[in-house]
Amino acid sequence: MTFRVLDPTPGTAAPLGQLAPRLDTLQGKTVGFISNGKEGTKGFFTHLDQILREEYGVAKVVSRTKSNYSAPADAHIVAEIKGWDAVVSGLGD
Amino acid sequence: MQLASRTYDVDSISAVQELYHSNGWTDGLPVVPPTQEAVEACLEWVMMPPDQLIGIEPVRGLAITAEKLAINAVMAGCLPMHFPVVVTAWMAMMQEEFLMHGATASTGGCAVLVVLNGPIRLELGAGGTFNALGNSDRATAVIGRAIRLCLINLMDVRPGVIDRSTLGHPGKFSYCVAEDEEDTTWLPLAEQRGVPKGASSVTVMAAGAPRQLMNEWTTKPEEILETFAAEMRANLRHYSIHPGNYALIIPKQLREHLQAGGWTKSDIAGFIHERARIHRREWAEVGKGAVVRDRGDSVYPAMESADQLLVIAAGGPAGGFGAVIPPWLGNKSHAVTLPIGVCVDCEPPKK
Repeated sequence: MTFRVLDPTPGTAAPLGQLAPRLDTLQGKTVGFISNGKEGTKGFFTHLDQILREEYGVAKVVSRTKSNYSAPADAHIVAEIKGWDAVVSGLGD
Repeated sequence: MQLASRTYDVDSISAVQELYHSNGWTDGLPVVPPTQEAVEACLEWVMMPPDQLIGIEPVRGLAITAEKLAINAVMAGCLPMHFPVVVTAWMAMMQEEFLMHGATASTGGCAVLVVLNGPIRLELGAGGTFNALGNSDRATAVIGRAIRLCLINLMDVRPGVIDRSTLGHPGKFSYCVAEDEEDTTWLPLAEQRGVPKGASSVTVMAAGAPRQLMNEWTTKPEEILETFAAEMRANLRHYSIHPGNYALIIPKQLREHLQAGGWTKSDIAGFIHERARIHRREWAEVGKGAVVRDRGDSVYPAMESADQLLVIAAGGPAGGFGAVIPPWLGNKSHAVTLPIGVCVDCEPPKK
């Protein structure tokens, strides 16, 4: 017996955002951190902040924390991204 | 009826199973072949065209259509009469306050608890008595399974992909319970939560595994409920102090003591809200002293308010058991109740 059965998946990939152009250098740039607020983010971002400034010449690091670590970043954080040259979105698990 | 999904011609029932398993389209168990006839029957039952948009998944913008829900429901074993529950549950899960992406992706590993109320339970043969939280009947088994298969196939909520659960729990195969409305004096859960009397409805909750308890040694409502509250305190101590929706499953034996004492669901919720709370310093007693810090005297209630408690009459007639179903992670996700096939307090279309 032959069965003609249907594909249970959407068949199309989820819509993706476009990556921003890659930076040639971090020298003098502004980098934003988006933390999910979990315990493990504190040490990670503190260390990364130091490395970016001291070893890569990053001019400014902006740290922001989501209000809900299981939800997308808050709108006011997303709005700020336009003013940054790069973003690091980190998990703390 | 014109379906949009890609089709596959397969030679045998075993080949169907291998096709679906090998593509990662199952929960590991065999599936019912989703043929065009079976899927169309589901769509006709709810009077929806295949491309009916059930909702847009809010985080990744995924369109959820009736056709795709129906395919997965058939795979789970649903008959057409089960499909309205699956559709409504998905509408509820896509409400912003449910936070579906977070709840289904989280390492916390919760499942979607589905609670049925109203006449549809009887039409479907959904049992709220023996083995209420287990394999009690066909309807709750296949409806709960359909929710999971839809998550797997429509949102990529596969283990290690979007589903990042550390452990998960058995409710992720199926987690659906019907309230035993015929054998209680209490208001049905949905009516307690604002659905008009007599309407069939679905409540969804991002839920951990049931924590079973027992107290057969008293008839006093306060003592019975103290056992429930203690189990919730244990959850606050051992799992998470985030307040949110908890569900209590109260079977007949304990329920009758509470009802005989004149306790309503609201009375129960009020009592539990007062008793189910801990001091932060208690975390030091269970190995979590590192996060007590200087806030040991802070008090953490299991719920922000009494109405966050979902009291559900269900379970077999004998046995002094009950269960606490804890939230995935407090108020990160809120339980949602929707009536099936009707619109209550809907706003007229905006011109």
